[in-house]
Amino acid sequence: MSASLADLQSMFQDRLLRADDAIDPHLANGGPFMKAYDHAYRARLIEILTEDFEGLHLLLGDEQFFKMLGEYVDAHPSTTRSVRWLGRYLPDWLKNSENWGKHPELASMAAFEWMLGLAFDAADARLVGVETMTRVPPEAWPMLTFTFHPSLHTATLDFDVSAFYRAAKAGVDPDGPPIPYDATVTWAAWRHPEDLIVMYRFMEKDEAMALDAAQKGITFDGICEIVAGHTDADEAAVRAAGLMKGWVDSGWLIGIDAEGMSW
Amino acid sequence: MTLQGFGLGLRPQHFPEILGDDPNAADGVDWFEIISENFIGVGGPPLHNMMAVRERFPMVMHGVSLSIGSTDPLDGNYLKGLKELADLVEPELISDHLCWTGVHGLNMHDLLPLPLTEESAEHVATRVMRVQDVLGRRFMLENTSTYVTFEEDEMTEWEFLSEICRRADCDILLDVNNIYVSGFNHGFSMEAYLDGVPTDRVKQIHLAGHEHNGDYIVDTHDEPVPDYVLDLYAKAVKRFGHVPTMIERDANIPPFAELVRELKGVRLIAERELDMVPA
Repeated sequence: MSASLADLQSMFQDRLLRADDAIDPHLANGGPFMKAYDHAYRARLIEILTEDFEGLHLLLGDEQFFKMLGEYVDAHPSTTRSVRWLGRYLPDWLKNSENWGKHPELASMAAFEWMLGLAFDAADARLVGVETMTRVPPEAWPMLTFTFHPSLHTATLDFDVSAFYRAAKAGVDPDGPPIPYDATVTWAAWRHPEDLIVMYRFMEKDEAMALDAAQKGITFDGICEIVAGHTDADEAAVRAAGLMKGWVDSGWLIGIDAEGMSW
Repeated sequence: MTLQGFGLGLRPQHFPEILGDDPNAADGVDWFEIISENFIGVGGPPLHNMMAVRERFPMVMHGVSLSIGSTDPLDGNYLKGLKELADLVEPELISDHLCWTGVHGLNMHDLLPLPLTEESAEHVATRVMRVQDVLGRRFMLENTSTYVTFEEDEMTEWEFLSEICRRADCDILLDVNNIYVSGFNHGFSMEAYLDGVPTDRVKQIHLAGHEHNGDYIVDTHDEPVPDYVLDLYAKAVKRFGHVPTMIERDANIPPFAELVRELKGVRLIAERELDMVPA
């Protein structure tokens, strides 16, 4: 009853994922210490996720937090080489979960924390400076497209979780629960170019829409149109240019291009 | 340059001491080992700090998710990332484990045991050759701690390891703690393991602590290296001579100075066994 390497590995993995016992006859002496693998799989993944979601942990408390993570690990076995990415589906999974979705502040907290984690160790890239913008000829501006630093990430939230998160990180009691927004608000997180610390702030609606468009490759002209929907048409270009300068000052931009030209 | 001396696993908790104002903080540490996956495709503080250490110390790279024994195809993206990291770090040595970590596109993030068969040996050896080709470097396989063996096994673990390395022409990262853990769990002779491994292929040694549960041991890396593992290390030094040796500590991580002290104890054992004059 000798099994192939492929079959043994399938059976072994099914044991870890679903407690399937097909591998048992293939374990020498009945595999008395198989429990070391059984236990390690979920424990390791939950330990990693616990480090990534301190705010969520404080929101839920130990019992509910670990129950939730156990359900998540079962729903999303890892498909990546690094444990770094285990939590990438957690915000959406929480939002769409029949049980956890009843508490939308959970998905907001998870999205917020995941965004900060992405900003922390995203790849490095050379920034565009303010002087670069001054070199762009005026006639090129309408067709400009923008490339953003890998550390810049956004999250659109139903709750303001920032104060609660800061309390969790500091290990102090929060002043109160996360506060629901009347309408969703988009936050941005990025890494400070010199200090390498993670910065974050919320964006006004027009900036969030402009950034989203710019990240999708919409030209400066198109971004002005989006901004014009939120302000006086005459001021749209000024507002859009102001946003660009703010993005450059914050270290968000790594490329400015137009029709085959780069600055 | 050939790697020499004694090293530690580089852990983020110790960056402030290693890179701090005290120039003697890492006295007695000749090199550091990084976990490859922690630096593939990342930037920011982790990469910045690691490279600051690299500027001052030789470094080796140690992976945990190559999954060399999996029947899934080798992950080309992972190998590409590993090569890019190796080109950046220029490690003295590069290694991963003789194990598999998942199939069907999943990763269990554990070092899972291989059946010790001719089929497995040929499968792994073929893949190691491919990895060495992609990396353009010699590669080391490390023996893992295991908690089960298979009815299908056709050879001892040391025969399995040695045969793969012979076929693939690769080297061995010998984990003395893992020999102890697996020897205890499966009842094989740890000395026979040492005697069964070819001396010319062992290029690095790992030491670590573990969790002893009475009837079985789990490789946890959360305690100092126990004396009985150091005794086995002394036997390894006698057989393999001076091989670059390091302590792994991945949990319950103590202050850096404590690990430096523990490493000095390891150095004394090697010097005693080799009758070396302390530097």
